[in-house]
Amino acid sequence: MKSRESKEKKSWYFNCCKKPQTMDSDLSDQENYTKSLEKLVTEQENIEADQKFMYDLLVIGGGSGGLAAAKEAVNLGAKVAVLDFVTPSPRGTTWGLGGTCVNVGCIPKKLMHQAALLGEAIHESAAYGWQVPDPNIIKNDWQALTTAVQNHIKSVNWVTRVELRTKKIEYFNALGYFKDQHTICGKMKNGEEKVFTAKNILIAVGGRPRYPDIPGALEYGISSDDIFSLEKAPGKTLVIGAGYIGLECAGFLNSLGYDATVMVRSIVLRGFDQQMANTIAQEMERRGVHFIYQAKPSKIEKQADGRLLVHWVDKERQTHQDIFDTVLFAIGRKPLTEELKPENIGLQLIPETAKIDAIDEQTNVPNVYAVGDVLHKKPELTPVAIHAGRLLARRLFGNSTEQMDYVNVATTVFSPLEYGCVGLSEEAAIAIHGEDKIEIYHAYYKPTEFFIPQKDVSNCYIKVIAFRNGDQRVLGMHFIGPNAGEVIQGFAAAIKCNLTFPKLKDTVGIHPTVAEEFTRISVTKRSGLDPKPQSCCS
Amino acid sequence: MFRTSLRTVRTALGSKAFANAPAREQAVSTAFKVQDPKDFNDRVKNSKVPVIVDFFATWCNPCRMLTPRIESVIAEKQGKVLLAKVDIDENSDLALDYEVGSVPVLIAMKDGKVLDRIVGLQDVDKLKQFVDKYSE
Repeated sequence: MKSRESKEKKSWYFNCCKKPQTMDSDLSDQENYTKSLEKLVTEQENIEADQKFMYDLLVIGGGSGGLAAAKEAVNLGAKVAVLDFVTPSPRGTTWGLGGTCVNVGCIPKKLMHQAALLGEAIHESAAYGWQVPDPNIIKNDWQALTTAVQNHIKSVNWVTRVELRTKKIEYFNALGYFKDQHTICGKMKNGEEKVFTAKNILIAVGGRPRYPDIPGALEYGISSDDIFSLEKAPGKTLVIGAGYIGLECAGFLNSLGYDATVMVRSIVLRGFDQQMANTIAQEMERRGVHFIYQAKPSKIEKQADGRLLVHWVDKERQTHQDIFDTVLFAIGRKPLTEELKPENIGLQLIPETAKIDAIDEQTNVPNVYAVGDVLHKKPELTPVAIHAGRLLARRLFGNSTEQMDYVNVATTVFSPLEYGCVGLSEEAAIAIHGEDKIEIYHAYYKPTEFFIPQKDVSNCYIKVIAFRNGDQRVLGMHFIGPNAGEVIQGFAAAIKCNLTFPKLKDTVGIHPTVAEEFTRISVTKRSGLDPKPQSCCS
Repeated sequence: MFRTSLRTVRTALGSKAFANAPAREQAVSTAFKVQDPKDFNDRVKNSKVPVIVDFFATWCNPCRMLTPRIESVIAEKQGKVLLAKVDIDENSDLALDYEVGSVPVLIAMKDGKVLDRIVGLQDVDKLKQFVDKYSE
């Protein structure tokens, strides 16, 4: 056992960055054999395209969706180029190739969340017999954390770069915009412009954080673009916005030892099941995160000592103020579509959001497609963009007809106590099907590992929404507890296979896990029975 | 323990190798950092003596351990072999042209041609063997 361990360790030393496992690490290579036939056909078609355009596919945006489409397209024999360019944030933060998820999204946030969980574990470990020298004096070193996180990101940037080269995808560090429907101008860092022509163009530019139009916001505020590489520890932080980005940031900052406050304009986690959302907020509050409800910031001023004086207005129009070291805006994201000069090709955008209402990823300009966060009313999630990008490439270059299914996509909010869900929220289920057509099952539960350190279990809660009659098909599953992402992923597959409530109940659980609670669920909301578990070891 | 002691060595060597003081210039002239592709052309491809090229990244821990080791091995050769250090993030195309995937990578070059390459962290003995071949 020991020798094996040391061998593994050694191999880690030997090769620093073989291939970090990221969303983009694609498995599609294995499928290539089966595609060789289709490839021949496509190559033939592409020879014709070559005569007219420089590329079969030009991708604007080197994020998850764009890169997935590009890789799949070259696998199918297409000639592909990718343009990627990061405009600095108002604070001046920039990053490398790979898009939001890798650089300023899922990856750094999961790592910071993990840092927070480890801190929690240090405190709990004393109850399990670990002789921890006074856990209260253990502090997190912000610089060490951000350096480690940024180093991982840079290694992923490099691997992405190598992958593009190996797959012969041409990469340009340029900001693209439309000249006509087959021509893209790419503005390089040095101001020079390069012209690219392509038969098909894929918009995968994603979005960037929005800032409110109030004095001091752009000058003194930061966003998720900046927090993961912030050179100085954030200190007392005000997070404005209570979407998942805001809650996650406030959650890990609080756990890392910084005073964190969330300012909520109206509701927490808009679009998510509101009972679950409020439970998450309640749990965060219990852990020490402050919430200011129904408030809007009105002004940020920098004081002589460098700290920030924030003014806000509550629902009674009363003005309040407090001093913070950092103000982080997480009020939503804005797609980067206007920068593409859509007017040059008559590309239609939704006026209110500037998003693209694509049908099967095709815009109103037939050879121009879009995937990812720029899409109107589609989940803004990396795996969604990747899947849509890959399927689109197969339809364009592999004679596939398979369309992206945007329904029942699972997701997880990495709040201190995580929240994972798939399918409909309670509100949506009622709105779509009517209250009397659905049954809501729910339960509070106690994770086994919470007993010894006497961790608070009051917000460990699950909910299953199913049809009340007929086959009792499951419409939605919601889980608050440890490892919610890991728990909900498998159930998402089950729902994709039309999971019914009787089948769920017929599944034998794994004991002792938190996921097994779904197989034990039986109390309906309609019954009015207490969903709390028995008070002692059952 | 192992890592800690190595890190100490690195710090000691590193402060010597990366010192900017002009007085040091002569002492460390067997190792240099490549600025750009032109610099690589002038000082590596057109070098009269063999050059070991160390492709490294600032974010890569094994690289940080390897560089001081190869520096000390090269320093013993008194100019018969040179060391060129290439930061793959600053000179990405150069690194990609030499098919650098995982780092660290050491490449032995003479008259502009690649003679040999080793990938990954190596101990000092291995490095000596690698360098000895080109310092005779």
